[in-house]
Amino acid sequence: MSTAVDDAAAELVERLLGGQRAALARAITHVESGAAIARRILQAVQPGAGTARVIGFTGAPGVGKSSLINAVIREFRSRSKTVAVAAVDPSSPISGGAILGDRLRMGEHGTDDGVFIRSISSRGHLGGISATTAQVVDLMDAAGWNVVIIETVGAGQSEVEITQIADVSVVVCAPGLGDDVQAIKAGILEIADVLVVNKADQPMADETRKQLVAMLGLRRAERRNVPVLTTVATTGEGVDRLVSVVEQQCQRYPTPKRGQRPHKRLQTLIAQAAARQLQERLATSNEAMIHDLCTRVSRGELSIDSAARTLLDAVLK
Amino acid sequence: MARKHAAAIENSATDAHAEWRRNYERQLPNDKAITNRSGITIKPLYEPQDWSDASYMSDLGYPGQPPMTRGIYATMHRGRTWSQRQLIGLGTPQDYNQRLQRLIAAGTNAISLIPCNSVYRGFDIDEVDPLLVGTCGTTVNTIEDMDVCFRDIDIGRISTAMNDPLPFTLLALLLGVAKRRGIPWDRITGTSNQSDYISHFVANHMFFRLALPASRRVLVDHIAFCNERVPNWNPLSVVGQHMQQAGASPAQAMAFTLSTAIQYAEDCIDRGMDPEFFLPRFTFFFDISISFFEEIAKFRAGRRLWQKLVRQRFGVEDPKAWRFKFHAQTSGVDLTRQQPLNNIARVTAQAMAGIFGGLQSLHTDAYDEVLSTPAEAAAQIAVSTQNILRDEAHLTDVIDPLAGSYYLETLTNQMEDKIESLISRIDAAGGMYKAVEQGMVQTLIGESAREFANRVETGEQIVVGVNAYRIDEDGSTRQPLERPEPRRIQEQIDRLRLFKSERDRRQVQSALDQLAAAANDTNVNIFGAVVDAAGAGATHGEIVACLRREMGSGEPLIAI
Amino acid sequence: MNHPQEPTARPIKILITKIGLDGHDRGSRVVAAHLRDAGMEVVYTPPWQEINAVVKLALEEDVDVIGLSCLATDHLLVPKLMQALRDQGLAHIKVVVGGIVPDEDEALLLDAGVSRVFHPGSSLDDITQTITDLAGPAAVPDEDR
Repeated sequence: MSTAVDDAAAELVERLLGGQRAALARAITHVESGAAIARRILQAVQPGAGTARVIGFTGAPGVGKSSLINAVIREFRSRSKTVAVAAVDPSSPISGGAILGDRLRMGEHGTDDGVFIRSISSRGHLGGISATTAQVVDLMDAAGWNVVIIETVGAGQSEVEITQIADVSVVVCAPGLGDDVQAIKAGILEIADVLVVNKADQPMADETRKQLVAMLGLRRAERRNVPVLTTVATTGEGVDRLVSVVEQQCQRYPTPKRGQRPHKRLQTLIAQAAARQLQERLATSNEAMIHDLCTRVSRGELSIDSAARTLLDAVLK
Repeated sequence: MARKHAAAIENSATDAHAEWRRNYERQLPNDKAITNRSGITIKPLYEPQDWSDASYMSDLGYPGQPPMTRGIYATMHRGRTWSQRQLIGLGTPQDYNQRLQRLIAAGTNAISLIPCNSVYRGFDIDEVDPLLVGTCGTTVNTIEDMDVCFRDIDIGRISTAMNDPLPFTLLALLLGVAKRRGIPWDRITGTSNQSDYISHFVANHMFFRLALPASRRVLVDHIAFCNERVPNWNPLSVVGQHMQQAGASPAQAMAFTLSTAIQYAEDCIDRGMDPEFFLPRFTFFFDISISFFEEIAKFRAGRRLWQKLVRQRFGVEDPKAWRFKFHAQTSGVDLTRQQPLNNIARVTAQAMAGIFGGLQSLHTDAYDEVLSTPAEAAAQIAVSTQNILRDEAHLTDVIDPLAGSYYLETLTNQMEDKIESLISRIDAAGGMYKAVEQGMVQTLIGESAREFANRVETGEQIVVGVNAYRIDEDGSTRQPLERPEPRRIQEQIDRLRLFKSERDRRQVQSALDQLAAAANDTNVNIFGAVVDAAGAGATHGEIVACLRREMGSGEPLIAI
Repeated sequence: MNHPQEPTARPIKILITKIGLDGHDRGSRVVAAHLRDAGMEVVYTPPWQEINAVVKLALEEDVDVIGLSCLATDHLLVPKLMQALRDQGLAHIKVVVGGIVPDEDEALLLDAGVSRVFHPGSSLDDITQTITDLAGPAAVPDEDR
């Protein structure tokens, strides 16, 4: 049975797969809004997705991440690759408003049709920033962009989630971190496939690089081989090497073909959808039962874990 | 007997104070707290408990002596008032020359050159949309243009405020003209008015051309070159004006400016330069808002702090270096589009604050600046305002005439504390360069701008004609727009193209190659290479483009 | 049909930018922050954007409104931007201009299709309300209704 929404979705997806930028832009809007049409669009684009290389970039403000991404885009463009960027910004938890994408807008790629840049705000989505981001990446992928870059700010939970979407995660640092290195090492070193010390023309750059190498040496064996590179984004120094290393890392996955996409990102998407659905069902499940469980937990008759198991069993039945 | 009498007076003073307080509270039960723009609470009355003559020597001293509060010269405005510098711009070099001839005929010897916005952005006029060319300033791209700007004018006898951001192509072109005319460079006087790249980067991105690290090097090269080769030129003006226009409070603007000056001084010292030698040539440029007493206190506190910083941080014992020389401009942000003639009154109050603050040079805004680029008639009123304040109102008869006011002295001390604590914050962040690189200064200025906007929005800050005392207007008080004729702009663009085709290409290319080499060799002075390139016929746009290519153009770091 | 957990409307999305040669951005920063606090999504760019870049950005970000800040004479370029938006099929995007626009030039902008010119002294609430009204019908994309 065809509805107006189905027709609209089909028409939009056709234009999107045909490479129309406006269609991609509008499809992303739907996905961000969580509108009903979004699910149909996402389903329809799936067979077209799976060929893009997805690279995550993260790093604290001030490390020159946007300059570096601009330089990386330039490098990919010189290798005749098209690049789409999803720039993830946190939205204000109070007003829901956000200032978006003020980091990448410096003219250079502003009029290049081989580059597509879209800001994404978290909008308090269930499942976090990554739920929307993974879907947006699917759309960009299906629209035919060769490389999809995900840019995130800071280092937090969302960055760790991004690694589940990206083929390669690049973590950007600046020289002279000193104690900051201690602060970032815990989470970030675990997720980095490539570490970059940007602003390498500054003093301390080599020291910072050595510090990072030393820290990686203390990690599990598979972490020890994480490359630590240096770049000067403003002049482009070291960027070609970075891009080559990233492309090499992508080879860990088989060369993707349409319709036979690697399952990593899909797995994330499905898991996220499952979590979302489960949470919704838990929220709308039997009130009397929840009341009973609460009472028993509060009396000390039941542990929270046991109560959770009971509730899950009931919901999944 | 005398002691008893004194005690009686003291008693009566306490009683009198208590009585005043009672009456005040009874008659004004709902007295609202007042805070100035810098966040200092303003009391209804100031008394000897707040400030007394006992602190005279430590807080004030005498003009030209530490702590310099009362002025940097013994004679101050009684001896020499201030330079009246009006920005003049618009149109072609020919237009500029004509206006300049008129000004010089009228007795001016201090002039300024404000280039077209395309120049500020680092482009030649044939690289931008012709619709915009020459609408905000003069189009100067080549040594020919500069020659025309100063045709029939002895550039060895005027002082030029060159509104020329780094890499200082305009000064380079001027030096090229001087060389052609056989005028020794030690006779070239004036100021590189827009040399403070940190303020450009932080405040309005207006003139921001090169990446921060490149800017840092070019400025120090420029200072070194001028000190040696153009010894009567002031290579550095540290600018608080941009930051205050961008929303910094007066205390923030002063603090960030002083921190910037500290940064530049440290950068010069790192290069092996002697502060005894370069510090006396540091000058400053500030905004004067309409917050009258706050502005006066800002300038007096700044003067005191600079003297202290120069002596304590840099150990400089030459009193010339303790002098806090500044140019000031009345604030355009305070002007309103509504009832625009009211702006003449605003500019008058702002200018008075600057004069009482002890400035060395003054620009008064034209009342129509908020409507469009100032018309000549409006600019004339702005000049007259200065003449009236000086010659009719007798504001300059007495040096630092408001000194000793309980209010002003207390406020000066409070502003000084506020400014010092902000400087400490910048120090803690690793200095101004680092603080700016991290966006800290931008964030503080942004918050301040929003706070002020909210004050106006809620009516807490009255703005006549905007949120109070509104009237219906017919617009008849407005001056007609002045725009350069498109035909003349097109001719100027054609002249540039002709210039480019007729010059010695090989010579230009070789100079640009030298410039590129200098950019990549820290042992060579970049500004020296800029001067050589300008003299060889390279254009402004070509020089900036070369350095952008070699050193990086960077990106704005905007914090909202 | 809508799932209970799904929002059906989205925040108003506005691009705040500057074209031309001037870089003063106090006004646009204050307005951007105010609109964010009013719940809008604000795409904010550094100054000096090229017209084609603004059009491309507006398209890719799928914004409802473009707010241009013009303090020098950069407003003279606005008619060219309006034409470029129409050429790209983006006539549905509303454009407002704020800053210093001489009276003589206001008609030029309105004739070119600009929805509103905010002069110095405009209240932030007025700006917010105007943008909300302008974006109203477009805030929920067509396909949803």
